[in-house]
Amino acid sequence: MTLDNIKTLEPSQLRAEMQGLKAKGFDFLSNLIGMDWGEEGGLGVVYCVENTSTHEQAWLKTATTDREQPLLPTVSDLWDIANIYEREAYDFYGIIFAGHPDMRRIFLREDWVGYPMRKDDKPEEQNPLRMTNEPLADDTTQYDVQADGTVKTKKNIVFGPDDYVVNIGPQHPSTHGVLHFRVALEGEIIRKIDPVLGYIHRGVEKLNESYTYPQTLALTDRLDYLAAMQSRHALCMCIEKAMEIEVSERVQVVRTILDELQRIDSHILFFSCLCQDMGATTAFLYGFRDREKILDIFEETCGGRLIINYNTIGGLMADIHPNFQKRVKEFIPYMRKNIKEYHALFTGNVIFQNRSKGIGPLTKEQVISWGCTGGTGRAAGWANDVRKNHPYAAYGKVDFNQVLRESGDSFDRYMIRLDEILESLNIIEQLIDNIPEGNYKEKTKPVIKVPEGTYYQAVESSRGEFGVFLESKGDKSPYRLHYRSTGLPLVAAMDTACRGFKIADLVTIGGTMDYIVPDIDR
Amino acid sequence: MSNNNYFSGLFSGIKSLLVGLGVTMKEFFTRKITEQYPENRKELKMFDRFRGRLVMPHNENNEHKCIGCGLCQMACPNGSITVTTEMLDTEDGKKKRSLVKYEYDLGCCMFCELCITACPQGAIEFCTDFENAVFDRSKLVQQLNKPGSKAVEKKPVPKPAAPAAKPAAPAAQPAPKATEVAAPAEKKESNPETPTTV
Amino acid sequence: MFDFTVVTNWIDALLLSFLPGWAATLVECVLVALAIITLYAVFAIILIYMERKICAFFQCRLGPNRVGKWGSIQVLADVLKMLTKEIIDMKNVDRLLHKMAPFLVIVASMLTFACLPWNKGAEVLDFNIGIFFFLAAGSIGVVGILLAGWSSNNKYALIGAMRSGAQIISYEVSIGLVMLTMIVLTGTMSFSEICQQQADLGWNIFRGHVPAVLAFIIYLIAGNAECNRGPFDMPEAESELTAGYHVEYSGMHFGFYYLAEYLNLFICAGIASTIFLGGWAPFHVPGLDGFNHVMDYIPGAVWMVGKTFFVVFLLMWIRWTFPRLRIDQLLALEWKYLMPMSLVLLVLMAICVSLGLTL
Repeated sequence: MTLDNIKTLEPSQLRAEMQGLKAKGFDFLSNLIGMDWGEEGGLGVVYCVENTSTHEQAWLKTATTDREQPLLPTVSDLWDIANIYEREAYDFYGIIFAGHPDMRRIFLREDWVGYPMRKDDKPEEQNPLRMTNEPLADDTTQYDVQADGTVKTKKNIVFGPDDYVVNIGPQHPSTHGVLHFRVALEGEIIRKIDPVLGYIHRGVEKLNESYTYPQTLALTDRLDYLAAMQSRHALCMCIEKAMEIEVSERVQVVRTILDELQRIDSHILFFSCLCQDMGATTAFLYGFRDREKILDIFEETCGGRLIINYNTIGGLMADIHPNFQKRVKEFIPYMRKNIKEYHALFTGNVIFQNRSKGIGPLTKEQVISWGCTGGTGRAAGWANDVRKNHPYAAYGKVDFNQVLRESGDSFDRYMIRLDEILESLNIIEQLIDNIPEGNYKEKTKPVIKVPEGTYYQAVESSRGEFGVFLESKGDKSPYRLHYRSTGLPLVAAMDTACRGFKIADLVTIGGTMDYIVPDIDR
Repeated sequence: MSNNNYFSGLFSGIKSLLVGLGVTMKEFFTRKITEQYPENRKELKMFDRFRGRLVMPHNENNEHKCIGCGLCQMACPNGSITVTTEMLDTEDGKKKRSLVKYEYDLGCCMFCELCITACPQGAIEFCTDFENAVFDRSKLVQQLNKPGSKAVEKKPVPKPAAPAAKPAAPAAQPAPKATEVAAPAEKKESNPETPTTV
Repeated sequence: MFDFTVVTNWIDALLLSFLPGWAATLVECVLVALAIITLYAVFAIILIYMERKICAFFQCRLGPNRVGKWGSIQVLADVLKMLTKEIIDMKNVDRLLHKMAPFLVIVASMLTFACLPWNKGAEVLDFNIGIFFFLAAGSIGVVGILLAGWSSNNKYALIGAMRSGAQIISYEVSIGLVMLTMIVLTGTMSFSEICQQQADLGWNIFRGHVPAVLAFIIYLIAGNAECNRGPFDMPEAESELTAGYHVEYSGMHFGFYYLAEYLNLFICAGIASTIFLGGWAPFHVPGLDGFNHVMDYIPGAVWMVGKTFFVVFLLMWIRWTFPRLRIDQLLALEWKYLMPMSLVLLVLMAICVSLGLTL
């Protein structure tokens, strides 16, 4: 959608306005985007808050022209997830959030010089390849604005000298990638988790600012590689809406089917990896056996298995393969049968039940405050499905349930995903025989220029709300292209979910949270 | 009550374990899914849309469709394509761009297909080869236009056109007739003015 | 039934004919040790191959099939690799303990391996308190594991070792009680006598019917836990502790742990087949004399090894089906379920035996 009415606030008004919105039921901070609007516009932040009962969104922005010490008030006390988002804005733009308890860098090394997403920063010049180990500080700084306007700094402790800190990652079998948790233990019991991110940070958002629009598409598949289809769908939709391209019904339906196949693919992998993490290697391979069928479908139609590369601005790269419908129709009953096998082998297993029920619960308030969308949020009873709340593509026309559960523990998070596989199969079944005729691609100009403006498009990706925020100045490259990561809130909530549980539960909780590291780091 | 839980939990737990054991025992006897690669190399056929490696198809006359416009090079996000061209004089006195060397670095290609989408001539495509591993990184840099090949002419060109272009561009050897394909290409190697040696 | 003492006596006589008594004993000891070590290595190779193939078949795969026909010499290649790998010396470890730990584990494993009765007359370590000795020797292994975890100066290893200590010591209680149950039935602790008795009277699992079957199941669970194998592989727990207590070991030092793990599995299964399934005693059905006679033609060693591999298969089946337990659940399983049950079984068996209810 086009965001032509972002409310601009002075930094001094921000907190009062935010508190007002929070009180009015806008309890989900879906985006907090650092921005650099140049010398006049200053450094600022775009906020998006959503009312979880009416699904109404409010967009606000604020900025400061001070580039030496840009100070903005924090909102981390209102929404937990702002803790992480504000650290991201600090890391890339150097915006200091007054009152934030933990102003450390989050993705870049602690000894990084400069703030690379600022338009005037020269990261290569200031940061030669460092051959030393990355320092990890055990304390952090808080900046507070005093009544007289001066800034006072305060040291906050992350880990004290008495904490028995174990590094889970960055090379660890159960973090599913290069994710690093510093875990303070007491015996086997977890006291605190501090995620150290950025090991696979590739600066996708920064790269996008120098890419043309078709080139930016190539990177979305590489964010959350299990939601490649959906992420790319979001970006294509965002650009299409900005350029007012109407894609045909056929494209809408095919995109929906493929999104759902991708979701099944992701949830099967979720099941597999969870089993593997919990020591049930056999179930892991059963999942991979079934996922292979989906990958074959992808490969035949799209030419890729993991990096699918199918959506494009104005439609699809190619029409669906003649075998596509046949293969999908074979797959639906096959998968329904195998889900039963998963349940028999793993879900019902008493060991799994005991290891997952009541483990790492997150309440509805917590998932909303941490912004944990997707299955993790729905397991706690938060109806956050973008497909229902803000329908797109062909989702408005199909009949499906939003699977919800109550307790928000690991078992519910697991069951949500397996039930969603069945729901996705239902959606596909409704659409697969009704793919309308039409163009598979609309004609676009050879050089794509998005009209000046600010745009946002969210989709329900495999693990939550994936959003694309695009600010264009009318060039062939975006001025700012921000992705709302689905995994970052999940990792951020790990500390809340894991405290007081055992180190073996960390693996279960992490597995059921279902984060994907390249999407966290971007 | 708690005693009941103790025993019912015990028995239902044992039952769930037995169900699981049943599932694995059934799978023990089902057909295995392992692909016997490389033994099945002959039968193993990739899907035709599979993106294995960029190629530039040549027809039987050793002609390709590339006109050296460089759009693919501009479209590539990673800079994995380098197109070297030269300006040729055509027989009617106009300048015409012609491809000298089409270099493709498989090592940094990310198979996004933007080059193919960008190509106005349909001169490049992905082939389905997937055995791309080599022992040396430098081998990943491939030249896609075959030695001695030239761009296919749009219109049928009268025969004298061929000798006219010959002295200027030996690499873009003009239309060797089907009867004399390979031989002239080799002769050209000895020409010191050959611009292909970059 | 072929009595292996014929062979041993013949060798003894042969040696004594040209050597003094002490030298003959020495030579015999060396010969036996060589035989045991060879068997140990051979069984390790067979077990590793078997595990890889069986696990693959449970998982819809084919398993190793590149080196040799059906991948049959894959394990040999792996052994070769392991032997040639560097044993890395690390800073900041307790050198002596670090190097000693794998040997403790392998020594314990070999000692218990020597307890197995292979055939009638082919027992290596056999005396009147055989089972007691077996339990005692088996406990040395846990010292090796604890030392490995402690001396590695690694947090994962330490947590793994502590888990292992808690686990093995707990499960030894059940194993001991279950064995006691069977000793009540057999009335002897000597492995050779237990086997002989079963050859004469029928397998213990049939003789002791209900309590014996339950004891067998408990033994399988507890024995599996003793071997640190899935679903009880918490000390290693690769998805939590990467590799647990042996995370800092490399080359053949790691190889010792690896070998010991598989051989402990074999020993656990071997003891199960000795105590419950008759050891080298052939399968007899009372009344079917022809059938029993045919069974007697199969050598005792084949029976022993066959039964052991059957139990090994059961344990692998379990391992490749279930997820791993958590450490507190593991201990709860032992102290709340297995130990009370084995106590009840002990009493039950005592009642059965005293009332003559055994078959």
